[in-house]
Amino acid sequence: MTKKKTATPHTKQTKPSSRHKAGRGHCLKLLRQLSAYIDGELASDICKEIRSHLGACPNCEVFILSLQQTVILCRHRPVPPLKSADRVALRRAILKKANAK
Amino acid sequence: MATALKNRSQPLPAQGLDEFGTLYRDHVDLVYRYAHRLCGETEAAKDLVQETFLNAYRGLKNFRGDARISTWLYTIASRTCMKMRRKRKGEPEHELSLDEFVPTSEGEFRLQIPTEGLSPEEALENKELRRALDQAINKLPKKYRMVLILCDMEEVSAKEVGTIMSLNERAVKSRLHRARLFVRRELSARGILDENDHKSRSLRS
Repeated sequence: MTKKKTATPHTKQTKPSSRHKAGRGHCLKLLRQLSAYIDGELASDICKEIRSHLGACPNCEVFILSLQQTVILCRHRPVPPLKSADRVALRRAILKKANAK
Repeated sequence: MATALKNRSQPLPAQGLDEFGTLYRDHVDLVYRYAHRLCGETEAAKDLVQETFLNAYRGLKNFRGDARISTWLYTIASRTCMKMRRKRKGEPEHELSLDEFVPTSEGEFRLQIPTEGLSPEEALENKELRRALDQAINKLPKKYRMVLILCDMEEVSAKEVGTIMSLNERAVKSRLHRARLFVRRELSARGILDENDHKSRSLRS
C-alpha cells in the first residue's frame, strides 16, 4: 500500500553491536514491531516469539521497558489549563474577527 | 436547508451564534490543550485556538455531523497549525528512519532519569524529566509530532487520527512508532547527555 522507503531490510545493517548476543536480526525485527507489541496489536504467536527473545536479550528488555515508560510519560504530561479571562477574551476576539469580514 | 446555503458567507444568524457559543464553551479546553501541546507555549497556543475557532465558525453551517465534533475540531486545528507554522518559518520536514533508533552504546537502552517504581505523575514532578520530554516532543518533525500528540497524549484512536490527517491507519501507526522511538532516544543517555554537554560547554564559555 504505502511506500516503505525508510524501512531498511536487516541485511543492509552494518557493524552489529556486540551486546546484541541473541542475534541482531531478532533485535531489529523486534524494533520494528515494538509499538504494535506494547499496544497489544500482535498475534499471540508473534508475542510469544518476542517474549522468548526478550528473555534471552537483556538489552532488548531494557529497551522495550524504556519505550513503554516513554509512552506512559506522554500520556500523563499535563497541560496548564486555559485561564477564564483568556477564555472570555478569545471568544470575543474570534467573534469580532468573524463579523468584521 | 436552502436558506442555510444562501447565508453561507454571511455572519451566523442568531441561532448559529448560539450554536457557536455552545461549540466554543464545550470544546475550547480540548482545542487549547491540543494547541498547547502542538505549540509548546501559551501565546502561540492561544493564537492557534483563535484561528481554529474562526475557521470552525466559518465552517459551522457546512458541518453535517458526519464526524464527531472533536474529530472535526482536531482536523481544523491541525490544518491551521500546519498553515501557521509554514508561514512563520520554513522548518524542513524530514523523514525519520528506523535505523537511526538502533542503540549503539550501553547508555542508550534505558531512560536517563529512571521512572521505575514511580507513578507517572510522581515521575513527572521531576522538572528535568518534564523539560526533556517537552523538548523531545518539540524536536519531532511536525507530521510525527501531530501523530504522537493525537495518539499518545490526546488518546485519539489511530483510525480517527487517520481521518484527521488524511492518512491510512497503517501510515498513522508507522509515524507513531517512529515518533515514540525518537522521544525515547531523546530521553535516554544519548539525548540527555548531549543536552548536558551542550549546557556545560556554554556555562564554561
